[in-house]
Amino acid sequence: MRWLLSLTFIALLGLVQALSSSGSRLLVVVEEAAEKAKYSTFWKDLEERGYKLTFDSPKNDKLSLFQHGERSFDHILLLPAKSKGLGPALTPNLLLQFINKDGNILLTVSADAPTPTAISSLLLELDIHLPPDRNSLVVDHFNYDTTSASEKHDVLILTRSSPLRSDARNFFGGDGTLAFPRAVAQELGNTSPLLAPILRAKSTAYSYNPKDEVETVEDPFAVGEQIALVSSMQARNSARFTVFGSAEALEDKWFDAKVKPVGGKDSKTANREFAKQVTAWTFKELGVLKVGRVEHHLSSISEGSSGNDSVAQLGYLNPTIYRVKNDVTFNIEFSEYSYDHLVPLKIDPADALQLEFTMLSPFHRLDLVPISTTANSTIFSSTFKLPDQHGIFSFRVNYKRPFLTNVDVKREVTVRHFAHDEWPRSWEISAGWVWIAGVWITVIGWVAFVGIWLWSEPAYDQSKGKKMQ
Amino acid sequence: MVAAALEPFLKGDTGRNTRGLLRLIILCTIAGAAVASRLFSVIRFESIIHEFDPWFNFRATKYLVQNGFYSFWDWFDDKDVLDNGDRWRLMHRELGTWHPLGRVTGGTLYPGLMVTSGIIYHILRLLSMPVDIRNICVLLAPGFSGLTAFASYLITSEMTTSPSAGLLAAAFMGITPGYISRSVAGSYDNEAIAIFLLVFTFYLWIKAVKNGSAMWGALTALFYGYMVSAWGGYVFITNLLPLHAFVLICMGRYSPRLYVSYSTWFALGTLASMQIPFVGFLPIRSSEHMSALGVFGLVQLVAFVEFVRQQVPNKQFQTLLRGLILVIFAVSMGALVLLTVSGVIAPWSGRFYSLWDTGYAKIHIPIIASVSEHQPTAWPAFFFDLNLMIWLFPAGVYMCFQQLKDEHVFVVIYAVLASYFAGVMVRLMLTLTPVVCIAAALALSSILDTYLVADNPTPKEARPNGQATGDVVKNAADYIKDSLRSTRNPVLGIYSYISKASVVGAVTTYLLLFVLHCTWVTSNAYSSPSVVLASKLPDGSQHIIDDYREAYYWLRQNTAEKAKIMSWWDYGYQIGGMADRPTLVDNNTWNNTHIATVGKAMSSREEVSYPILRQHDVDYVLIVFGGLLGYSGDDINKFLWMVRISEGIWPEEINERNYFTARGEYRVDDEATPTMRNSLMYKMSYYNYNALFPAGQAQDRVRGSKLPAEGPQLSTMEEAFTSENWIIRIYKVKDLDNVGRDHTSAVAFDKGNKKKKTAKRRGARVLRVE
Amino acid sequence: MKCSGLLALALLPLLCLGAQKASGGRFEEFHARSQSSAPLRLDDASYDQITAAPRNHSVVVLLTALEARFGCQLCRDFQPEWDLLGNSWAKGDRNGESRILLGTLDFAEGKETFRKLMLQTAPIMLLFPPTSGQNAKPDGQPVRFDFTAGPQSAESVVGWITRHLPEGPKPAIQRPLNYFRIITITTTLLGIVTFISVAYPYILPVIQNRNLWAAISLITILLFTSGHMFNHIRKVPYVAGDGKGGISYFAGGFSNQFGMETQIVAAMYGTLSFATIALALKVPRMSDPKKQQLAVFVWGGIMLGMYSFLLSVFRIKNGGYPFHLPPF
Repeated sequence: MRWLLSLTFIALLGLVQALSSSGSRLLVVVEEAAEKAKYSTFWKDLEERGYKLTFDSPKNDKLSLFQHGERSFDHILLLPAKSKGLGPALTPNLLLQFINKDGNILLTVSADAPTPTAISSLLLELDIHLPPDRNSLVVDHFNYDTTSASEKHDVLILTRSSPLRSDARNFFGGDGTLAFPRAVAQELGNTSPLLAPILRAKSTAYSYNPKDEVETVEDPFAVGEQIALVSSMQARNSARFTVFGSAEALEDKWFDAKVKPVGGKDSKTANREFAKQVTAWTFKELGVLKVGRVEHHLSSISEGSSGNDSVAQLGYLNPTIYRVKNDVTFNIEFSEYSYDHLVPLKIDPADALQLEFTMLSPFHRLDLVPISTTANSTIFSSTFKLPDQHGIFSFRVNYKRPFLTNVDVKREVTVRHFAHDEWPRSWEISAGWVWIAGVWITVIGWVAFVGIWLWSEPAYDQSKGKKMQ
Repeated sequence: MVAAALEPFLKGDTGRNTRGLLRLIILCTIAGAAVASRLFSVIRFESIIHEFDPWFNFRATKYLVQNGFYSFWDWFDDKDVLDNGDRWRLMHRELGTWHPLGRVTGGTLYPGLMVTSGIIYHILRLLSMPVDIRNICVLLAPGFSGLTAFASYLITSEMTTSPSAGLLAAAFMGITPGYISRSVAGSYDNEAIAIFLLVFTFYLWIKAVKNGSAMWGALTALFYGYMVSAWGGYVFITNLLPLHAFVLICMGRYSPRLYVSYSTWFALGTLASMQIPFVGFLPIRSSEHMSALGVFGLVQLVAFVEFVRQQVPNKQFQTLLRGLILVIFAVSMGALVLLTVSGVIAPWSGRFYSLWDTGYAKIHIPIIASVSEHQPTAWPAFFFDLNLMIWLFPAGVYMCFQQLKDEHVFVVIYAVLASYFAGVMVRLMLTLTPVVCIAAALALSSILDTYLVADNPTPKEARPNGQATGDVVKNAADYIKDSLRSTRNPVLGIYSYISKASVVGAVTTYLLLFVLHCTWVTSNAYSSPSVVLASKLPDGSQHIIDDYREAYYWLRQNTAEKAKIMSWWDYGYQIGGMADRPTLVDNNTWNNTHIATVGKAMSSREEVSYPILRQHDVDYVLIVFGGLLGYSGDDINKFLWMVRISEGIWPEEINERNYFTARGEYRVDDEATPTMRNSLMYKMSYYNYNALFPAGQAQDRVRGSKLPAEGPQLSTMEEAFTSENWIIRIYKVKDLDNVGRDHTSAVAFDKGNKKKKTAKRRGARVLRVE
Repeated sequence: MKCSGLLALALLPLLCLGAQKASGGRFEEFHARSQSSAPLRLDDASYDQITAAPRNHSVVVLLTALEARFGCQLCRDFQPEWDLLGNSWAKGDRNGESRILLGTLDFAEGKETFRKLMLQTAPIMLLFPPTSGQNAKPDGQPVRFDFTAGPQSAESVVGWITRHLPEGPKPAIQRPLNYFRIITITTTLLGIVTFISVAYPYILPVIQNRNLWAAISLITILLFTSGHMFNHIRKVPYVAGDGKGGISYFAGGFSNQFGMETQIVAAMYGTLSFATIALALKVPRMSDPKKQQLAVFVWGGIMLGMYSFLLSVFRIKNGGYPFHLPPF
């Protein structure tokens, strides 16, 4: 029954919005129309993917991100602005609020346009650091485009990134070269687990400010792999925030430009595809996990059995109380959203999806193994014996990986002690037989004694009786 | 039972019917008075359960009534008893007290109280009188107080032949504040029935010793079992009866009667007590019960010796036997000690041990010491609770020495022990009260009997009218070899009417004064259900302060079903009962560590306590703050106990001294130590408090001190609710910051002050590895 | 330039080695010395030496002032415990696995150190954790033991040390059997037994004397009901002066009392109950009407006076108490 429901629901979901899993209203903040024209291909791609673009200028004072306390857009795309401030509608607090309300933001910066203070202070809050002095850019004297920037070396030629970690999914891979003209370096703070670089610079790159005259750069803002050109922050509520290092790279002219690395032959840039990947990820078309049914029950009630003794029939599905040392089965259904539909989630062998049975601290931590897959979901399961400890426990699946939305499912259950009639009866314990025998012998002996006593009453003696009193 | 109750009536000496009838009427009126004088709180406020523990008992009773005895027996405490369905399904919704540990309630409480009121409930239902269980719980204590009065009548009439003594005792017992303090309407606590059981068990015991009948012994055991199921104080009986028997034996008063009664009581009573899961095998494992066992053995020995002596009247043989007895006694003692040392027999439980070594609790078990009713008793408390009886009491005890029968020995022992215990713990005033009533009644009755004799003796010889008391005393004087010095020569009586009149008049005045005192004390001291506070307005009218319920109902209405509330353990039961939300700790202080955890969370800095709160997934923190109203029983005043208790577990992290100023004062104003001012409790108490006052005028009316100019800042919690008079403040624990900042900087950002751009880092910069 | 750097590099391990060796030797030396006399008697020099910074052993130093002229009671109370600790560690840890040295620095020998540490009070116990080796603390700053809770037992000190230096063996405390005490107890017991057995016929009547028992039990009851246990537990003062030079016999406040106060109250109770007894038992046994009359009035008067006085006292304790008897 539930199966069917979830299936139909998923199907419907698939039909209704063949695009981002979280709405299609995209606000593009661009200062003047001239700017907008440069990116026409980019807009076209987005619209093809079903986004309803709203172009607006930060100067416009009617612009507001919220209406009646709700988001009036699902995503924001910020193009670099010339002006220092971004106006009353786009203060850092508002943008942060937008994120806290599950809105996604794609921020593009460029070395040509200084970053507004609003933006930089927001980035500071997120522990993403831009070079202190404006309009400093990333140069690389070994990987640059010889055709366009033979002198300045400020058009970087990059290959797309390899996976971040062995267990992390790579949404931004693929071959082809990327051209990043006049990119702004970002440096990611060390502490926050929410940050992840999407595209790094080559190890020979460094960030410097062309304005200052000194020939040698000592202590540059950032060097080599530490420079992130595209970096991402996925908040705890899985809202996504991406900083795109070079807005120019999204312009039409770089989408289909020919570039020629040092000592290489010229090739077409893969910017367009990369832009698609980045936007798709940022606007939640990729790497969105969805938890379907979560259920747990006594293992004794078998899953397969149908009819009257099926799990659902007995009504013992997801009971809220178990007894210590029960055998329990826990099932959870996972699907992943990719572009326009849900697919079964696959955990790669390097990684593991784990179930915790926890009270204050985990008593069990077990791998969940896939037992079956439907059209667009995988069902993971695990069976184990409850610990010999009563209390309020919770089944917890806490799966947080870079570039995947956070999953933290908790199901609270009470684990009770043995009831007075759940212990074995006394006679079932062979060690108790001695005592039982003792009891009965005493009883019989006493009765017998009383009988004898009453039977053999002595002739009543006066004096004795007196004395007893 | 009924026969036992009626017996004294049928045994009137002359004109028994009229007297019997009179006594019956008087007793009924006394019972009526006893009940009536306990209804102040119901009349003033409403029919509401009082204080803390009663709330749990009430919840348990509801659970029992709803789900029947067996599921009560196996109750694993979660919450929300009002639910139907099969028994496991029921127990589940309970996400209970002691989150997340849960509590095996069925096995860790004394079911007597709940079962009693449950039975009453069902009986009334049977009689087609559907009474709300709450009202039964509220009125249980007064009802039983009536029975207690009756029981004390019975026991006193066992002590003396004077008919008035029993009635006096009943009257005293009915209205003495010492007993009312724990049995006003609505204080639905174990003591409510336990005191009745205590007195009645003693009555039965005395009956048994007097008649040496197995039946009375069995009845004693029966009620002893009931007592065990009702109150932890049963240990008092467990030790008093053996002591009585032991003393009697030492006095050479051994008799087959004693043998029969004691053996019957011990055998059956122990079995009965072991039926209570909470008691279980204690009676044979713990030292508290060893005296009973030992005396049992002794009685057997003595009986054996007596038997032998009756068979073989031989001097040497007897001495031999005596020696034998001594040896055996010594050996068994040694064995007991050995077992205790080797740990087979549990040593004395701290609670009990702290009665003897009075310094013990304060050092080793601060939780016990922290309870206000475990403090020693100052003399005004005695006078307050017992008024003139406190000085009639010794007189009565003295009179017990006149004719020192077995039962009088009992009274003497009881008097001495109970007065010691009452001196050590305020709470045990309760066990002292009955014997005080009895003794006082004895003393006063003998005065009245002497001075209320209508006609005077002629100086020559004793007149028959003097007899009523006269011959008793004389008989006593006769058959006791050395009597008391004051009762050597025979009683003559009082000659002049003036003296009679004056004495009787004086006594009457005292008695009237006593009644006034009791009424006054009851209505002023013992009749406020500490859930609802009453205060007098300037114009004398009464003003009800209902913050507790306001807050609890706020919780009930505005928080999630399973929201975990953290508060100091005093309020656990109330939150469970009224707000119906799971709590971390409650008044059943079985888990020191868990309570210490809460104490630590309360008494450390936010940065330290926030992880603790997260770990126990606490959603709300509730504190009590009296500063605005001058309500002294608030958490800041209890704070030091939280510190001490948690220091007991984490001596390295919490240190009581840091909460005192250099001059060793406990202050909350500018002088207060940083540790104090950074502690979560302090912050939560005074957060936003000076917003109420003009700048710099903030004033704490309990501590009577001016508060610092700028109040404390909270970053990890936000104020959720503050009751009308600020007595209860509830805070919501914030979730982790959405974009992974620490709370302080998040708060700073929301306040609008931007971070400075990160200046050039000095030293080697830390590189990202991934 | 470069080569000098190289040189330094080359020297570095040697230096470390040297330091290592020195400290190692230090421990062995002191440990050996502690075997003979434990805990070590230190003076300024040896103190500095033993606690010098790179050390692979830990040191527990008791800074005390034993000489009578300093009048440090706490020092003298704690000293036996400390010696006991030292001895049992010297025994229990012959070949120094614990790598802990116990030392005593008396003010007499260690004025310098006291001044250096700017210590005003004694005793003070410092624990210097090792800077290298197991449970090493990088800064190696000493930890201070807290004596505010009065004289500590050796066990508590061991517990404290264990908390700070979790690893490594901790010898158990062996308290020497106090033979003298055992002997005295046994002898006294035997003496008592013999005395009883000899004097039994004389004692017996005394024990069986009812008046005696009555007196005893009455006294105990009066003692307890007048709040003696409260005094015993709360250690209340016997009397306290009121603000202006006089003595206040009655402490203000309902749950507060003085030692003397309780005695007064007990006396009052006693008188009252004695009056009761007299009225109930003595008076009706008087044969002479005149005397009896007198007695009744006397006792009655006493009772009334006492009771009213008691009430007035109680009104002092409990402000709002409305009732009172004439004359007070």
